[in-house]
Amino acid sequence: MSSLFRPKHNTLARVSLAIGAAGAVGTLGALMGYARSPYARHMQDPIEQPLQFDHRHHTRDEGIDCRYCHSTVDKSPHAGIPQTQLCLNCHSQVWNKSPLLEPVRQSFFENKPMEWRQVNRVPDFVYFNHAIHVNKGVGCVTCHGRVDQMAAVEKANTLTMGWCLECHRNPGPNLRPVEEVTNMEWQPEGDPVETGRVLAERNEVHTRVSCTTCHR
Amino acid sequence: MSSHEEKPPAASGSVPSPRLRLPVLASAPPPESASQGGARKVWRSIEDKARSSAASLLGEFPPGASELDGVNRRSFIQLLGGTLALAGASGCRKPPEKIVPYVRRPAEVTPGNPLHFATAYALEGYATGLLATSYEGRPTKIEGNPQHPDSLGGAGTFDQSLVLGLYDEDRAKQIRHKGQPVAWITLQATLLDLVKNAPDGGSRIRFLSGPTTSPLVAELRQAIATKLPKAKFTSFSAVADDGAFEGTQLLFGRPLESRYDLAAASVMLSLDADILGSGPGYLKHARQFAARREPGATMNRLYVAEPVYTITGTMADHRKRVRAGDIPALLFAVVSELATRPGFGDLAKLASLAGAAGADKVDRKWAAAVARDLEKNKGKGLVVAGRRQPGYVHAVVAALNFALDNVGKTVSFAEPSLLDPVQGPAPLAKLAEDIAAGQVDVLVMTGYNPVYGAPADLNLGQLIARVPTSIYLGLYEDETASASKTFIPAAHVLESWADARGTDGVITLTQPLIAPLWGGLSETELLAAFLGDSHLGSHGLLKRSWSSKGKLLPGGAGGPFDFESTWEKWLADGFVAGSATEPASGLAVNHDALSASVAQAVSKAPRTEGLEIAFAPDPKVFDGRFANNPWLQELPDPITKATWDNAAYVSQATATALGFETGDVAVLEVRGRTVEAPVMIVPGHANDAITLNLGYGRTSLESIARGIGANAGAVRSSDAFWFERGVKASKSTRSHTFALTQDHWSMSPDGRDIPPPAVTGTLKEIEDHHSAFNEELEGRRGVPTTIQQPWDYSKEQYKWGMAIDLNKCTGCNACVMACQSENNIPVVGKEQVIHGREMHWIRIDRYFSGEVDEAEIVNQPLGCVHCETAPCDYVCPVNATVHSDEGLNEMAYNRCIGTRYCSNNCPYKVRRFNFLDYHPAVPAASQLGMNPDVTVRSRGVMEKCTYCVQRIERTRINTRIEKRAIKDGELQTACEQTCPSEAIVFGSLNDPSSRVSKAHNDERRYDLLHEVGTRPRTAYLVRVRNLNPELA
Repeated sequence: MSSLFRPKHNTLARVSLAIGAAGAVGTLGALMGYARSPYARHMQDPIEQPLQFDHRHHTRDEGIDCRYCHSTVDKSPHAGIPQTQLCLNCHSQVWNKSPLLEPVRQSFFENKPMEWRQVNRVPDFVYFNHAIHVNKGVGCVTCHGRVDQMAAVEKANTLTMGWCLECHRNPGPNLRPVEEVTNMEWQPEGDPVETGRVLAERNEVHTRVSCTTCHR
Repeated sequence: MSSHEEKPPAASGSVPSPRLRLPVLASAPPPESASQGGARKVWRSIEDKARSSAASLLGEFPPGASELDGVNRRSFIQLLGGTLALAGASGCRKPPEKIVPYVRRPAEVTPGNPLHFATAYALEGYATGLLATSYEGRPTKIEGNPQHPDSLGGAGTFDQSLVLGLYDEDRAKQIRHKGQPVAWITLQATLLDLVKNAPDGGSRIRFLSGPTTSPLVAELRQAIATKLPKAKFTSFSAVADDGAFEGTQLLFGRPLESRYDLAAASVMLSLDADILGSGPGYLKHARQFAARREPGATMNRLYVAEPVYTITGTMADHRKRVRAGDIPALLFAVVSELATRPGFGDLAKLASLAGAAGADKVDRKWAAAVARDLEKNKGKGLVVAGRRQPGYVHAVVAALNFALDNVGKTVSFAEPSLLDPVQGPAPLAKLAEDIAAGQVDVLVMTGYNPVYGAPADLNLGQLIARVPTSIYLGLYEDETASASKTFIPAAHVLESWADARGTDGVITLTQPLIAPLWGGLSETELLAAFLGDSHLGSHGLLKRSWSSKGKLLPGGAGGPFDFESTWEKWLADGFVAGSATEPASGLAVNHDALSASVAQAVSKAPRTEGLEIAFAPDPKVFDGRFANNPWLQELPDPITKATWDNAAYVSQATATALGFETGDVAVLEVRGRTVEAPVMIVPGHANDAITLNLGYGRTSLESIARGIGANAGAVRSSDAFWFERGVKASKSTRSHTFALTQDHWSMSPDGRDIPPPAVTGTLKEIEDHHSAFNEELEGRRGVPTTIQQPWDYSKEQYKWGMAIDLNKCTGCNACVMACQSENNIPVVGKEQVIHGREMHWIRIDRYFSGEVDEAEIVNQPLGCVHCETAPCDYVCPVNATVHSDEGLNEMAYNRCIGTRYCSNNCPYKVRRFNFLDYHPAVPAASQLGMNPDVTVRSRGVMEKCTYCVQRIERTRINTRIEKRAIKDGELQTACEQTCPSEAIVFGSLNDPSSRVSKAHNDERRYDLLHEVGTRPRTAYLVRVRNLNPELA
């Protein structure tokens, strides 16, 4: 009786072992790749809102500063989504009959808040504070991307802990003069490294990387 | 037994054990060295005291702590499998969360930043100034108002628990009239008809309120009296302090309230008075008392005589356990000793009554020593009697204070702020009599639950059912609600406008934080309905009242009175500055009249011997009004460390005599009425006496309060409101399991000897720099020898640290409650507490020392001490607990995988593990009260004190935006903020001028478990007893 396994089976065994190992590594790699992909991070995924609010129009065409609507960004942990009344500051006069703005008028007259869908979200155990970042010269665009070019707002950065720490370990490249924080197009003049160093000193930036800086 | 047998059985019959013993502190023989202080052995429970050093007590995780209830490991894995399968089915993308902005944002609200409003809570009529924190309109935390001139910035457990009480889903939500829901507007018409059709000037209408000092209520009462001149107003409180007012009535011919200034008192004698732990003004008293506890020439001395340990008793320098009924005898012993001294001739007449009062039966030596000490500190002493004591005792105490020249210095008398000073059993018995005689047609009850609080002999519940129209305004569908025909849900303190006076008479305003959640009404709105004014609401009523009266107040007098701006200022402050009332002047004691009436009272006082039962307001639920508050129910009692229960407290000797052990259920019989109560042996209790706390054994519809504990009211009589003798106690066949936390979190779970964690010394030992005590203390601080190179934190901007002064801590639990509220700490329930799973981040270890029945107490609050070389750090496999650059021991919840290694390795046992997911059980309404700055922890996560890191970070951010450093005292942890006696200080140790740095350099400083080498950031300052040399 011939043996059950022939010499060729050695090769087969080796190849299947290699395929198995490669498969395991590949699966792991694929999963890690997936976790880092824009899809898994919910990036490049414009969120449809209950109202077709267009940032392009308001910031570029009308030149409204971010802080007109997001008015608590420099004094509160939350940037603040505008109250309905704020929309009507203008829209009681401008486009006050537009059917597009019906949800706003409805909210105002029925005293029912608008329900916006969150775009940039950090987990509940992360206590991000807008005020300190804005007051130390981190621009809106640094984290939120070119909102002035988005028809519907989408997440522009991964917002992972690694991404946060990158800046907290070396804040210089992301700093700008405090008065330029809402400028979407600001670029450092001259040597960016030196500019960052000077700004960090002027704005008294002391980034921290202890857990409780964000997790409490 | 012959004498030689008493020698130790020497097996070899030769030399004693040759083994050398190491000089371990705790193994020093305790009784002889008891007065030596530092080496004195301390114990937490009678079992703890009795155990041999090798025997194991409750481990860190006691039996059952790690088991899922009713689920073993195998079935748990089965469950786990099922859960995973279900989890897979729902593994789709999470829908985006909603952001819901305001429609119209109120101008003062910045979403994400809390607002603080000054408000007040009047528990026994007297207001405590409070600050309420509100996030976007949701009150989340109550703290003391530091600017309030009367309560001085502390807040007690009851005040802080209001936040949870507000959101209680059990609160009544519907007005009902004869079983049918009815609208308020309809009821208003009915009430107006009542007034219109009332015969004989309203002589058949009665109003029964709780204790109140409210000027607005006084005004409404007057207005009602003009319409119904014969209607009667009465107050009732189940914990009424009638004795004090009857005493002043006896002495001065009119009831006056007593005010104490502990800041001016060097020697104090408390006769059954818990001045530091409960009753009006206790927050102020605690702060004033603690301020005089610094060792040195100005340090005060406190003598306490009481039947059962109270918070005041734990602070005593000398404590005498005396039955409530023997307190008069002790008082007369003091009086008769003083009467023999020159200059105290006035007291001779009172002293002649000493024999009749039984002064020979008490410890005359103790009383004499106290008397001489009081004499030495003439004008700087203070004698106080408690609410259990009858009027004549209060009268004699007042006369004593007059004789000692203390009046006007440490004690003063003033016209009472309470609208009805006497509010105990007497006026209620009169009302009951009237109802029984059919003289009452309308009864309007606005005070807390009179049916439950009334003594059993009045049968108030049955009587009220007989009244044709009975109206009750209450927070809950309680015992009184079910007896009343009409029930109106009350608005919570945080939902309504009100005013009240502080103990010094200062007018304090209560402003609401939120509109009534379930449409409750305030007391003033109900009273105004009788005048047709209730449409004004409590706000309108209050403003109307003060806009006319305000002119008369300081700030309003002279010049044009701008009410609106003055009002805004009052609301912002929370009180009307300068509105305190002056004490009465020109008072004198007529000794002839006094001794005549005291002689009469003494002769009438019951002379019965036998077992005594005394009642007390409960430190957790007070008179029952907080019984539905889980925070309070789970708060360990300051003395017994019992949660979720009351018990019949007895001394060891009495328990032995009666054949009881802790956990037996006793049947207590008083005048034929019985109550079943579990027995608990409490160190330091008077013999032949039982103490039963009020507020338990509820039968109402409150889901948490119902069915817990024993109802003391069932054996209470109106003529023996506070104590009574001749109780029969027999053993029932049942037994009871207490949820006691006293042996949980032992720092020597394996029974090894550790140096006493809480250290007490005498003033003499502390002041003598070369005393053995100080030398030993020296060995418990400083840099420990260690092989590790400690991290250098001195270059950091801040180095956070804490110091707790055991000499100031009264063990009142305010810090535990503050921590619970600030840090979203869950309540776990009685069963879980029995398993050792309570979650409080800060616990108060209450240590006894000495013999059981004569035990002394020292309290030690203990949260995470933030060791610089923390044993928990090394063992965490996932780096969930690490150190910050400033030395905080941080806990990253989202990293924690729940191995519990850190807790195993923690020598202080301050880490708490979420064995179950305790938060899904929190009702939706209570979730509104959570602090949004703190993560809500889930199952399988370890947690512990963070030094309120959310407050550190918020303050850091605010100050960094302003480009400045955090000032000392600007940043307070929750426990520090609330502490009535300022025992806790927090700050940066890198700032040599900070309060915490000074405390760390104090000569009384020591480190807990210093020998372990953990370099804790929380330091302790030893407790000092200022002993009277005559008694030492």
